[in-house]
Amino acid sequence: MNKFLKILFAVAVLFAIQSCTDLEEELVGDVTTNITVEGVSGGSGGQESTPLSAAYAELRNAGTANHGGYYSVQEIPSDEMVICAKGGDWFDGGILIELHQHTYGPTHAFVNGTWNQTYGAINTVNELLAGGTLDANQTSQARALRAYFYWRLLDLFGNVKLIVEPGVDVAQSSRSDVFNFVESELLAALDISEVSSTMDLTNSPLGTDASAYQINQFAALGFLAKLYLNAEVYTGTARWAEAAAAAGYIIDSGVYRLCGEGCTVANLGKRAGVEADPDELEGFAAVFAANNEGNPEHIFAVFYDEASAGGMNFSQMNLHYSSQFTWNFDAQPWNGYATLEEFYNSFEDGDARKQASFIVGDQLDFGGSAVLDYASDDGNLVLSYTPSINELTPNSLREAGARPGKFSFKQFGRPDMSNDFPVLRLGDVYLMRAEAMARDAGDWSMALPDVNVVRERARVSALSSIDADGFLAERGREMFQETSRRTDLIRFGKYNDAWWEHPADPSDHVNLFPIPFDQIQASGGTLSQNPGY
Amino acid sequence: MKLNFNLKYALLLLFVAMGTFAMAQRTVTGTVTDAETKEPLIGASVAVVGTGTGAITDFDGKYSVEVPEGATQIQITYTGYSTMIQDIGASNVMDVELSAGTLLDEIVVTGYGTQKEKEITSSVVEVSAKDFNQGVIADPAQLLQGKVAGLQVYNRGGDPNQQAVIRLRGLSTVGANVQPLVVIDGVIGASLQNVDPNDIESISVLKDGSAAAIYGSRGSSGVIIVTTKKGTASQDVKWSYNAQFSTESAVNATQRLSPTEFVAAGGTDLGSQTDWIDEVTENPFSHNHGLSASGGIGSNSSFRISANIREKNGILINTGYDQFNTRLNFSSRAFNDKLKIDFNTSYTHRDQENGYTEALRYAVLYNPTAPVLGVNSPFPFNSDQFGGYFETLGLFDSFNPVSIAEQNRNLTERREFNYNVNLAYDLMPSLTVNFRVAQQRTDINNNQYAPTTANFRGNATSPTRKGLAEFYESDFTFNLYEGFATYLTSFGQSDLRVTAGYSYQEDDFFDKFFSIGDFPNNDLDFSKLIEASQDLNNAGFIGAGSNASPTNKIIAFFGRANFTFDNAIFVNASLRREGSTKLGVDNKWGLFPAFGVGVDLNRYLDIGGVDLFKVRLGYGVTGALPGQSGLAQEVRNIVNDGATGAVSTELARAANPDLQWEEKAEINLGVEITAGKLSATLDLYNRDISDFILERTVDVAVFGVDRRFENAGKLNTQGLELALNYDVVRNSNVNYNTGIVLSTYKTVLEEYVLDAETRANLGSPGQNGTNMLLVKVGEEIGNIWGPVFTGVEEGNPVFADVNGDGQLITAQDRALDPDVDFEVLGNGLPDLELGWTNQVTIGDWSINAFFRGAFGHSLVNTFRAFYEPRLSTQSSYNFVNTDKAVDGLTTARFSSLYVEKADFFKLDNLTISRRIALENSAFTGMNVSLIFQNPFVITNYTGIDPEPNLVDQGSDVLSPGIERRNNYFSSRSFILGVNLNF
Repeated sequence: MNKFLKILFAVAVLFAIQSCTDLEEELVGDVTTNITVEGVSGGSGGQESTPLSAAYAELRNAGTANHGGYYSVQEIPSDEMVICAKGGDWFDGGILIELHQHTYGPTHAFVNGTWNQTYGAINTVNELLAGGTLDANQTSQARALRAYFYWRLLDLFGNVKLIVEPGVDVAQSSRSDVFNFVESELLAALDISEVSSTMDLTNSPLGTDASAYQINQFAALGFLAKLYLNAEVYTGTARWAEAAAAAGYIIDSGVYRLCGEGCTVANLGKRAGVEADPDELEGFAAVFAANNEGNPEHIFAVFYDEASAGGMNFSQMNLHYSSQFTWNFDAQPWNGYATLEEFYNSFEDGDARKQASFIVGDQLDFGGSAVLDYASDDGNLVLSYTPSINELTPNSLREAGARPGKFSFKQFGRPDMSNDFPVLRLGDVYLMRAEAMARDAGDWSMALPDVNVVRERARVSALSSIDADGFLAERGREMFQETSRRTDLIRFGKYNDAWWEHPADPSDHVNLFPIPFDQIQASGGTLSQNPGY
Repeated sequence: MKLNFNLKYALLLLFVAMGTFAMAQRTVTGTVTDAETKEPLIGASVAVVGTGTGAITDFDGKYSVEVPEGATQIQITYTGYSTMIQDIGASNVMDVELSAGTLLDEIVVTGYGTQKEKEITSSVVEVSAKDFNQGVIADPAQLLQGKVAGLQVYNRGGDPNQQAVIRLRGLSTVGANVQPLVVIDGVIGASLQNVDPNDIESISVLKDGSAAAIYGSRGSSGVIIVTTKKGTASQDVKWSYNAQFSTESAVNATQRLSPTEFVAAGGTDLGSQTDWIDEVTENPFSHNHGLSASGGIGSNSSFRISANIREKNGILINTGYDQFNTRLNFSSRAFNDKLKIDFNTSYTHRDQENGYTEALRYAVLYNPTAPVLGVNSPFPFNSDQFGGYFETLGLFDSFNPVSIAEQNRNLTERREFNYNVNLAYDLMPSLTVNFRVAQQRTDINNNQYAPTTANFRGNATSPTRKGLAEFYESDFTFNLYEGFATYLTSFGQSDLRVTAGYSYQEDDFFDKFFSIGDFPNNDLDFSKLIEASQDLNNAGFIGAGSNASPTNKIIAFFGRANFTFDNAIFVNASLRREGSTKLGVDNKWGLFPAFGVGVDLNRYLDIGGVDLFKVRLGYGVTGALPGQSGLAQEVRNIVNDGATGAVSTELARAANPDLQWEEKAEINLGVEITAGKLSATLDLYNRDISDFILERTVDVAVFGVDRRFENAGKLNTQGLELALNYDVVRNSNVNYNTGIVLSTYKTVLEEYVLDAETRANLGSPGQNGTNMLLVKVGEEIGNIWGPVFTGVEEGNPVFADVNGDGQLITAQDRALDPDVDFEVLGNGLPDLELGWTNQVTIGDWSINAFFRGAFGHSLVNTFRAFYEPRLSTQSSYNFVNTDKAVDGLTTARFSSLYVEKADFFKLDNLTISRRIALENSAFTGMNVSLIFQNPFVITNYTGIDPEPNLVDQGSDVLSPGIERRNNYFSSRSFILGVNLNF
């Protein structure tokens, strides 16, 4: 009996000791360390795999071409885009109206989303740089890419934290410090001390490889041109000459050319039963088409693919539900974004950009029959987009408003589109140089040669004179839907003016977005709010 | 050496005794009756004290028990009656009368053992089988609905496959696991889904912290202890069969416009007249059968084996389940009765047709003039594309409900298996050791098929990519190893019982998911032919994923002492030291103490007519663990870069090595009075819950991601619970007993990760960014927050300038602005909950009427918020039309207009049963009952179900009070039940 007791006790003790201290948690079902596996055969993009793939992928994650982030806060507050409340649909607590009317506040979901997505992207780049595995060229690319993301924060929020190491907190910087940081990072990536017409980039670690999916020296210069063009807004001090020099260097290199006559791609949106649909897209339209990879105008572009690189959802965001039958879409669109009538009318007929940028009028399906909207609210069963919009809220008609279609849709398209999104392209660079030169000289006629290059490609007649308003309108027609308008309006002092369903702003503090309320709370006092909020 | 000698001596004596007396047994028979009514007591337990033998009384109250020589006493116990111990005399017939009304000596199952009810110093309630809710019960938790003060069990609507939401004393946690800890026959963390209600003997609910602390870090959300039915040794095999047959009908479907009203209101006339709710609902027939055999194998073993079959159909067509469950309980004694072996195992196989509640949602809002079938369309319509059904194309969020119910399939198959072996060995008469090994496995398969002609999920509008098959599979394994010892001693007027033990629990979870679509047509059964998918030829469409938990372990050492003095003063104390893998490396272990004291004052005051006057005070600390694993660690997402084929990761969640469990400290004061026909229990409690585990917004610039899990916040709940029971009439022909349980509590958020936030987005279409619930430090949980509706102007709602500052701020993203014109529009949690039982017995007839009510809570009727305004742009949806509709309103915006008081009082269950004596037949008894579930509800709420909704969208516990559009309609059931014993 006693022996039995002893054994029993020994078993109990052994049992207890063996397992009593081990509480380690091994997360077999999760990834807990940063792994990188380079592509084997190349993905559907056929691109070369580099350690920077994750960093460039962040461009897609950072709201470049979908709803709720960077694209939305750059476009909806401008005079080129709007989302109207359609009865019960798209009111969404008023946040879309607030964006258009500039009454957004620190709790705006899209403002918060934009901040989080952009810092998430910066963190990925910081982790790569901290990993110490990059060569000189890759390090320069990473720093230039991070500078671009910080440029977005500079433009949107102004006063932000400049985090360069993962997990290491720093004090909030002033807008001009952020400007200086972005400038110095880009110059360092190029290995030059300043931008000038005589700069020598032959030793720059950033090469001249023309692949638009990686940052080369022209892309870095393009970022600098954009930075300098807005320097007066960011710091109070204009830097026109450097903007012109940076843009001029890109143009003069001859590496890129405008996609004009003879620059064509197959028209993937062609309907078998609609003869008017061309077999090919030429010129301006080809720059943004679903098969626009390798367009000669792209300097730096975000790669999108319907299957492997999602994140561009314009077909969903812009089109009416029934437009599904025009393109045979895989999923029903959402009927959200539309263009303001006045902006639509700023294009003259015959402007190739008007044809390429908008979906208007009666809609036909694949076989050429009218697309019907059985729930029509305008008494007309045929789906027909009208440039005029009856009201912003509450009962905008479902078919009201020309729909943005610059990033054109392809037949049998998926919710994720395959069009590449140019962050920098030559047409933009021409207009940046034109504006910088004109402002530097104090003479808008200095802009005419470059403006007319762009107009010629758009198949509209050359201008013989131009002023600031005329230039802004030209830039609007060229850059529509490319997340440029808000920045341009601010630079031209027009962001606070009245336009359709947007009363004049009582104060220009809205030119910077508020720092998100959640982030101010989470920062424990290390982030302070922008003035006016 | 001395002890050694004594043991050997004792052993020798025992063997001699065995050898001498083993053959000498006799049989004692008798009848157990109620002392007052003289009615036989059915199912009373008769045990021979000091042996493993015993019996259960039959339908006539008769028993027969083998009494070994040397046994001197029998003990008779029956729920609701005083336990009686009688000396065995010379006679072989012993008739026993039990007195009812007092529960003083009832044994109640508590953690790691049992206690006499009188000695318990914490708030513990035991409900036995005869007091369970009757009827077709889908979930064992429903057996207790309304029966235990402070236990909330809500199963809104009539979905046969939805599990009830269970809460004990309100919200016990915010971020951790809110499900109560279930203990079945001693197995911690067992699954309630693997017990058939027919097999449950009793359920104990440990309500306060001092009772639950012995269960440590999982005790905060309450502990529910289930004891299953057992056999009795030395008894012939007894069979029991019961069956129920039921039918039900939908009640409280959302009110909407008739086809004529719809057209008059400007709706698009599509030429037909369709009652969509009629089309998708039915009055289903359901039935269940339970067969069990129990008895003894010789004098030292007993068993009970049962099989239960349930076929339940829902009011939504093509929903329901088939379930098979079997259970074996086996108990035996060996080594001179010193070793007791309990073995039990059960298996449940359930096939569910879940359907889609969207069919009900779209049945409410689908155009009532639309035809069911495409052939009846007023314009040319390609019916074949949609399986013959009509669809309103070009509308957002609109699907033919009949097509959903008939074409889409959503199937779940669930298998649960467990076994449990417990060895108890009496080392000495006063020292017993226990070892337990248990395992439980749960496998779930969910398969969803949307045919190529289904507009809903099947993408039938797409010219290319039609049909979708989704496959989900999960495996869960739980292992438990425990050992504990109990030592009993007495000195003078004092009794002391000490328990100490060790517990090791581990679980593993794995699931995988796979979806594939684009099938040629419905001629191929693509549920079995997924290679027909054209997605195999197109990159990017096949969805797949998996999750695996780490091996989650909980390891604990525990001890408890129960001290009784003078059978009137009771002291209980326990301590558990417990560690979990789920917590941060620096905070894995914690200590959970409890202390309680109780005094039967009546022993000293001796008030006339009072049998018991007990006051007790308990204090205990329990914890709550996060439901998920790995919250303390950094977790990353895989990024597949399609552009290059490269794989990398990005941060998804930042690490927090300091993460610890939530802690709940609770103090409970109870008073129990029994005086003749009246008994009453009053409990007052205060609980402070701190350090709850929440995903907190962190500085994204620093952490690289804006989320990580932290311990943050504090909740305080104060509450009162009252249970009253009264024997109105008790005589030989008529008994009438009535009982009422009342509970009320208030939960205030004292600290939180943010000063304030809003939650619970109303959603699409058009009401995103519209959060309806306010969570604010210093305020109650469950406040509904929004603008106050005052009238209509040009179709738009007019809101009140609540703060009177002349400036109207009602934009939703200004909800937290100090100047916002919002106010608290109601609270989602009830102020008072009530359960009222009435049991009348007249001769062989008995009637049980159970009423239930909840008062003071509100619900947001989201159907109205979306579809009651007459939106000009949605002329092809039907409109909801209640008596609360406002004429002329054409804009949908959330406001006080859609927040309704949802007080209700209902007759939850009415059971009429008759006992039928079957003389001269093989049957020993028969019972027939008619049961009405939910026969009537009194409420002003216009939505589907006025019962409180404690959880939003299945997980958000901070957002009670919202009735979403995907609610399954409530039902009213009529059931015929038969119980046969033979």
